[in-house]
Amino acid sequence: MNIGKQRPSILDKSLSRGKTEVSLTAYALLFSEMVQYSHNRVNSVNELHNKLSELGQRVGIRMVELLFVREKNYKRETKLLNILLFIKVTLWKSLFGKEAEKLDRATDDERIYYLIEKEPLVNRFISVPRDKSSINCAAFVAGIVEAVLNATGFPAKVTALWHKGTTYMIKFDESVIARDKQLDGR
Amino acid sequence: MAVQGNYYFAIVGHNDNPMFEMEFSPSNKEPKKEDHRHLSQFIAHAALDLIDESMWTTSNMYLRLVDKFNEWFVSAFVTAGRVRLICLHDVKNDDGIKNFFMEMYETYIKHSMNPFYEPNAPIKSAAFEKKVSFYGRKYLTG
Amino acid sequence: MSRQNLRAIDPKKVSGELFTLTYGSLVAQLLKDYENVEEVNRQLERIGYNIGMRLIEDFLARANPGRCYDFRDTADKIQQAFKLYLGVSPSIGSWSPGGDEFSVVLDPNPLTEFVELPDHLQNLRYSNVLPGVIRGAAEMVQIEVLASFIADSLKGDNITEIRVKFVKRLEDAVPAGED
Repeated sequence: MNIGKQRPSILDKSLSRGKTEVSLTAYALLFSEMVQYSHNRVNSVNELHNKLSELGQRVGIRMVELLFVREKNYKRETKLLNILLFIKVTLWKSLFGKEAEKLDRATDDERIYYLIEKEPLVNRFISVPRDKSSINCAAFVAGIVEAVLNATGFPAKVTALWHKGTTYMIKFDESVIARDKQLDGR
Repeated sequence: MAVQGNYYFAIVGHNDNPMFEMEFSPSNKEPKKEDHRHLSQFIAHAALDLIDESMWTTSNMYLRLVDKFNEWFVSAFVTAGRVRLICLHDVKNDDGIKNFFMEMYETYIKHSMNPFYEPNAPIKSAAFEKKVSFYGRKYLTG
Repeated sequence: MSRQNLRAIDPKKVSGELFTLTYGSLVAQLLKDYENVEEVNRQLERIGYNIGMRLIEDFLARANPGRCYDFRDTADKIQQAFKLYLGVSPSIGSWSPGGDEFSVVLDPNPLTEFVELPDHLQNLRYSNVLPGVIRGAAEMVQIEVLASFIADSLKGDNITEIRVKFVKRLEDAVPAGED
């Protein structure tokens, strides 16, 4: 214990401006250790995906407010399409330095959207063993997206699939679609 | 300088749970008694439905006045992540309340980026209380 | 107009916020999985050790650092590596009279940008991955070191300081066939 010592408060620092960078190698090695650690503690691919998603959610929830202050001039998003674009453009640029490649809507289910990225940053340095080829470490990024959507009031389940590179399947709650239609009707 | 009045400030989480509360009275007056807090909580809680409705009709975070109960006005601010900042006040002080909310928002963001803070959990931090009380004196009770 | 992030897109760089928050998430996960703070400290050091063992290859390839002739060279390389990988320049100093021990003083520490330790975690060595990296990387170039935090501004110390102590050269581990 450090009785008498004055610990600094994070509240006295200025808000993070998002200008700092670290090397991709440093991130890659940290990330693969995180995957390895998680992998050692689960029994199935599904569990691993959930674990990575949970790790990602802690990151996503901490980026939400910061990005709206810094990049959106304190304007919230109230529309489904706008929050998806926020994720594709603003969130992706801040975290990964570029936009996600493509945003699609499922033709047969109005609750489902696809965000497509040929090569997610986190998959660039993970080689998945052949016998476990269904593992997609972008589940971590799916967790980030899910946390952002849940926090901003667009609850959804987000999963990372191997399709056209990686496809994030975003399945919104029924209530989100209903509200969005109602807002359109105003 | 703002007209001297009484204020109650609360931060409310996703499950309508209070994460933080504080009362402000003019420095020359005795702070109101504890039973007053229950009324404040009641009024703030009653305003939540109105806040939840109006947050979808505007992209502004500052919703201004959302409700009134007896002598109490209720002003609200909703963050991008749907954390609700609520202020009860018995005097009009639009600019002061807006500035206060903005400072509280920034303070909340810094607090919530800590990996040890769980979203929606009660905020138990002496440093946080100090900031709220500082900005309350600066923008509310003057 | 909104201020878009105009950070130059360097394919070899990644957002510091992403890095710091990812590390924070990992620490939070370890605390959830182990509950015992001492065990979390050990796990973090081990994760760092694994990272260091792999990092050194990249470092040797990219920084072309030359041979370490003495422990002072090792200290310089560590300083160089912090700059290359984390974008910070720690100061090296407090050498022992025998020249076998030195300190790496970090200001700032990119891992702790948003962090404040809660009262019940005052024994957590939040950044313990860093001494692990130093130990792992040194071992791959046949130097056994002890590395650990002796001061941490997260705990109210004035500085954040890692002490590195030379133990021995691991001559036996030189791969066969190398001249």
